[in-house]
Amino acid sequence: MEKSAENNNKTGFLREGSIDDVSKKHTKYLGTEIPEGYFETSKTAILDKIKSEISAHKIKDKKQPVLWMQPSFKYLAAASLVFIFGITVWFQNATKKEGVNTSFELLSFNEDYLMNSLLIDDAEFEAFADAMLIHEIVIKAEVSERKIDALFLNSLFVEDSLIDNYTSDFFLEAIIL
Amino acid sequence: MDKEAVLIKKLKNTTLKDIAFSELLDGYQERLYWHIRKIVTTHENADDVLQNTFIRVYKSIANFQEESSLHTWMYRIAYNESLRFLEKNNKKLHENIDEISSKHLEVLFEDVYFDGDEIQIKLNTIIAGFTEKQKRIFHMKYFDDLSFREISEVLNISESTLKSTYYTAVKIIEEKIIL
Repeated sequence: MEKSAENNNKTGFLREGSIDDVSKKHTKYLGTEIPEGYFETSKTAILDKIKSEISAHKIKDKKQPVLWMQPSFKYLAAASLVFIFGITVWFQNATKKEGVNTSFELLSFNEDYLMNSLLIDDAEFEAFADAMLIHEIVIKAEVSERKIDALFLNSLFVEDSLIDNYTSDFFLEAIIL
Repeated sequence: MDKEAVLIKKLKNTTLKDIAFSELLDGYQERLYWHIRKIVTTHENADDVLQNTFIRVYKSIANFQEESSLHTWMYRIAYNESLRFLEKNNKKLHENIDEISSKHLEVLFEDVYFDGDEIQIKLNTIIAGFTEKQKRIFHMKYFDDLSFREISEVLNISESTLKSTYYTAVKIIEEKIIL
């Protein structure tokens, strides 16, 4: 073996003075080797890796200001959000109460209305019921009066027997309503 | 201004940094590679750690205070990166430093980039029997050609301790190689 012959002089081993080539020194004394042309390819690999690390870092830095806030600003922003949310909830509640007081006209005599009546003050409910009854009676009476007038006018052009039947039916319907 | 000072100045200049870093790689990658290789044993591991070392150098050069030479500062980074690599591997394999040392020879002889003859295997075996401190000091002094002052800066050990440890190690090697 060439190497063994070279290293055969054991007394001179490690005492041959300095070897300038680091790789040769390691190969000669420790038997460790490297792939051919390793340092050329490794230089390129290191520079490429640094470039990719830097570009990744730059992207991270660009994104950071959007998400990153100083701690004092974070608390301020959180407090502002809570305040705005609180105001919104309070405002909605306040407008809801007013709506209950003024929206009687929207109510009608159905199950929802009866359910709502349980939640409304008795005095207010009675006032609403009176108003509703008056509204029903006055409007409907007015409408039926107009219908009767129209009927009499039409009767001038229709046969007496037919109009008699029609008026008696209509009067009965108007009275029931 | 000496060569190293000029290089540091260029490395700290943002416009000249990349060119200067290429120069730095030309001048130091081979030496740092061998420094790392002796700690992490195989070529594959040394390649990984060398890359990490230079990335760290690139990122930290702006903060380099010039309290030591660039040369020793980079050796310290390479040394710390190598230890970090070993610690990471220890955690993965649940091994302590003694187990790693005992496996060093096994791993070295299995490495495709090891082609040792009888005397080289013997030297590796003797060095593997040293304490961690003795091993590092011998490697840095004999193979990396660092001065005792530089080794002292890298390992944080007094120069007198380094000298006595190194000469003891050399004596052991000479005796065992000759016998």
